[in-house]
Amino acid sequence: MTNAITINNLTYGYPDQDPLFHDFDLEVQEGQWLSIVGHNGSGKSTLAKLILGLLEANSGTISIFGQQLTIETLAEARAQVGMVFQNPDNQFVGATVADDVAFGLENRQVPSEEMPKMIEAVLQQVGMADFADREPHTLSGGQKQRVALASVLALKPKVIILDEATAMLDPAGKSAVLQTLKDLKNQYQDQLTLIVITHDMAEAALADRVVVINDGQLAFDQRPQDLFVQGQALKELGLDQPFESQLSQALPKAPNQYLTKQELAAWLSTLKD
Amino acid sequence: MNNLVIGQFIPGKAWLYRVDPRTKILVTVVYVFLLIFANTWPAYALATLFLALTLVLTGQSLELYWRGIKPVMWLIIFTVCLQLFFTGGTPVLFHWQFLKITLPGLINALYVVLRFVLIVLMSTALTLTTPPTAIASAIESLLKPLKAIKVPVAELALMLSIALRFVPLLMLETDKVMKAQKSRGMSLSTGSLIKRSKAVLPLLIPLFIGALQRALDLANAMEVRGFESADNRTRYRVLSFSKQDLVAALGTGLFVLLFIGLLWIN
Repeated sequence: MTNAITINNLTYGYPDQDPLFHDFDLEVQEGQWLSIVGHNGSGKSTLAKLILGLLEANSGTISIFGQQLTIETLAEARAQVGMVFQNPDNQFVGATVADDVAFGLENRQVPSEEMPKMIEAVLQQVGMADFADREPHTLSGGQKQRVALASVLALKPKVIILDEATAMLDPAGKSAVLQTLKDLKNQYQDQLTLIVITHDMAEAALADRVVVINDGQLAFDQRPQDLFVQGQALKELGLDQPFESQLSQALPKAPNQYLTKQELAAWLSTLKD
Repeated sequence: MNNLVIGQFIPGKAWLYRVDPRTKILVTVVYVFLLIFANTWPAYALATLFLALTLVLTGQSLELYWRGIKPVMWLIIFTVCLQLFFTGGTPVLFHWQFLKITLPGLINALYVVLRFVLIVLMSTALTLTTPPTAIASAIESLLKPLKAIKVPVAELALMLSIALRFVPLLMLETDKVMKAQKSRGMSLSTGSLIKRSKAVLPLLIPLFIGALQRALDLANAMEVRGFESADNRTRYRVLSFSKQDLVAALGTGLFVLLFIGLLWIN
């Protein structure tokens, strides 16, 4: 399995501040669904900006599918990695949903006559096809984030980074975005690498692998089910366990492992007899 | 803010909606330009007829246009007063102290009202039937010749369309900041003029900071989606002239000829 993203000895700090990352290493395999969690100010979003070349590392290397990120390879890297940002309004460039999806295609110089079909197809994928002519201020936050996802998908990236993309959404919008992510992952399987930056543990639980960043270091790098049973350690890092884990740990007889909501419900129902 | 008709786009299917935005902009410009020279009743009658035809082709109700005129009513009344009281000549119709109404003044005032109303309604008909994005791409297309003298037309058009896209958002934000400051005891409607203008400051600063943050975020989002320069891009919305544009051009041409003819006779 090849590495989608390889980070070696990364050092970065904002000017006039203590360095955020020092000799930081991370590898993300192609096709993986990775969650990056950490408390506010832990450097999660900075890491995403570094991977996309929006910020330049002080030292160390970032490689995308084996290609080292430099000024020369920047355009190529951005063709392979797409990103959905936190604020739904601030990433909506077009005046309508279709125009917004078209923006990236226009940048890639896709011929005008090919665009409508491509736009229709990606809006279908995120369930927003009926909203093509709507203006952004008539959409809910969750709908805007799904449009943002469609705009990224239209460029056919191999890696999609979501930087707290659900943090500003209501529960319904959040679950719609997460469902869309699951559908996409099912559809593309190993062709799509997902990096989800979040501080919502239920969202992190969807991943194959969770890394916890604390003070610019990897504090944990595990499968979500192994991470969530470590309640005390998580608390020390300023993170919550998902509700299911809190519940099952409060029940003395529950098995000492991570159970999803469904699994926990199934286990609880066996207690009746 | 939502009852402002001027500058608003209302979706529809009438004939004028199918005319290319470039045609509509050009016709509006020509119309406004010609009105400057209108100085006889027949000329105004012809211009009014042309406007009436245009309004019918927008398929919108007259009541809507009346709402469009209302906000500029005070401006019209003010200009009318200026014309009415400060135009010299004979015969004098009315005289009281320093105020004096003359026949040329009265006629001038009526002309000004007509001119004003005709221009406002014509521009309303343009924006009512043309989405802002179409206006932006039409302006880009019309300004293309300026590229030869190094005017960054593509950049300007992109700036315009992004600015248009953020107008509703900034309005919402202004509303939010206003409510937030009001809940902290700010009042924009009481106190002396100086006190009131000072109260605007705590409104503007959060708005400016918010707008700058948005601009930074937007720049990142644009860059990540492969934006490098406004020039090397293809276009999703392609403008194309059709049969309607020919009809509109012929109609306008006829109007221009008749109008110039009327001015000539005079």
